[in-house]
Amino acid sequence: MGLTYYLGLAINGVIEGLIIGLAALALNLVFAVARFPNAATGDLMTMGAYAGIAVQQAGSRNLLLQGLAAVAAAMALSVAMYLFAFRALRGRTMLSPLLASIGLALLARSLLSLFVGHEQYVFRMPIVRPWMLAGVPIQANDLWLACIAIVCVAVTFAVLFLTPIGRQMRAVADDLTLARASGIRADRVLLALWLLVGFICGVAGMVLGVRTVVMPEMGWNILLPAFAAAVLGGVGSPVGAVVAALVLGVAQELSTPFLGFTYKIALSFAVLIAILAVRPAGLFGHVERVR
Amino acid sequence: MLAYLVAVAIVFGIYALLTISLDLHYGFTGLINFGHVGFFSIGAYASAILTLHGLPYVVGFAAAAALAALSAWPLGLLALRLREDYLAIVTLAFAEIVRIVITAEEWLTGGVQGLSGIPRPFAGLGIGGAAEIAYLGLVAAVLLAAVLLINRLVRSPFGRLIQAIRDDEVAVTALGKNPAGAKVRVFAIGAAIAGIAGALYAHYMNYLVPDQFVPLVTFYVWMAMILGGTGRIGGALLGTAVLISILEGSRVLRDIFPGVLQVEMASLRLALVGLLIVLFVLYRPDGLLGGKTKP
Repeated sequence: MGLTYYLGLAINGVIEGLIIGLAALALNLVFAVARFPNAATGDLMTMGAYAGIAVQQAGSRNLLLQGLAAVAAAMALSVAMYLFAFRALRGRTMLSPLLASIGLALLARSLLSLFVGHEQYVFRMPIVRPWMLAGVPIQANDLWLACIAIVCVAVTFAVLFLTPIGRQMRAVADDLTLARASGIRADRVLLALWLLVGFICGVAGMVLGVRTVVMPEMGWNILLPAFAAAVLGGVGSPVGAVVAALVLGVAQELSTPFLGFTYKIALSFAVLIAILAVRPAGLFGHVERVR
Repeated sequence: MLAYLVAVAIVFGIYALLTISLDLHYGFTGLINFGHVGFFSIGAYASAILTLHGLPYVVGFAAAAALAALSAWPLGLLALRLREDYLAIVTLAFAEIVRIVITAEEWLTGGVQGLSGIPRPFAGLGIGGAAEIAYLGLVAAVLLAAVLLINRLVRSPFGRLIQAIRDDEVAVTALGKNPAGAKVRVFAIGAAIAGIAGALYAHYMNYLVPDQFVPLVTFYVWMAMILGGTGRIGGALLGTAVLISILEGSRVLRDIFPGVLQVEMASLRLALVGLLIVLFVLYRPDGLLGGKTKP
């Protein structure tokens, strides 16, 4: 139980944190631009992972192909949710789209389990001997997954900060009326937002699926830690969400020897409530409309 | 057949208590509570554990209400400071923490194995028939008392205050009223009713496991409330009736189509609940009893 043990836990935590971070990033984008907590985020990830499994069941062992299917499925579902529900709910109170997202999440998950059942699937991966780095075993797969997650975050930030549509998205997030007055078409921005959210969720679902098992509840289970990270990082702050998720992931793993497996999950929720009790706007969030 | 109807009526009564207490939180006061199942489970386990240790039912029910109200106290204080979307997430996290604690503290709650052999009032009247009907009487009495309490509460000056908080909190503050105390009290009262519902559930089921208290229960109750129309006790009862007929109807349906598996039925049921939430939010946000709003 020396230093290497804790280093191993910390590395595990970083990868967990990256997965939570992707989900939190997707949450925070919707939080910032469409202004509601999207409870269907986790189930978008689940749908992506199942699309990847479908490609595997069809006989292709190509991970890239599986990943593309995952991203395509999550993007399609994300846009469908926007067109079918969230678009009509613009201008309503925050609760309406939140409730709709809960309903859509239940619907997506139950249809999935209705058609493919509750059995668990795994992505068949070649077993590779772990590298030893100063006595700490590092799985090559984990390294790959971490790289993919980081690239996904980088792509998202590039879209947000380097492209015209990203600039428009940030403008809508800052002030919808002002953005409209400057000639930004909110419809196009929201469509782009949901495409981007689907993309992130697809990658996150695939990464989570490869690392663990694919089952209908996999995405839902990651939703609350992702909420915790999103709030911790400050609602609407994409950078904050990823940083907070990394902190949470590492803290969760490092706490395992002291708290045990059951309470490790409760840690992020407890952190969430504690942070909000002290700073009602989140760690990095600016104070807005605080009652 | 009578036994079945009595059983359905008991479950209806328990869910109706949950729905009207959530309606007190959200429908009348505007507090967005997504952790209602947390209060429900605290009440259930409190009463179960105490009566398993030989204490009388009255103590169990009182403890269920008191502990649930007590657990709502810090949440109520948080609710004063938080944006409403944060409150939704915090209450959801609260209910999950309760479930994790119940799962982990095996010495108290039996962990995943749960508690069994929880005594039921009127069990001395014999199995089936009279005992069940007597229990239904108890549930009905509690429900009636809760309905009368909430009805009186919302028509009192306090009730006008909380509805004013829901509609325009800034205006309430400007009029010199203090919304903070009212919110905390509403949170505690609603939680206490949910706690009593939990106690009724525990003694009716005779066994408790953590899996009975997943967030899905909260969403069921939200669906019932929205379906009937928020801020209306009649609506809450109607919505609960629809919810129970969905939950029970799938069982009846399975008797007609025996080929359908139980897990498939559960999935269909869940799909229907999800679809109803989406459709009502989209097309009938005021519920069945509300007027049709323009889309």
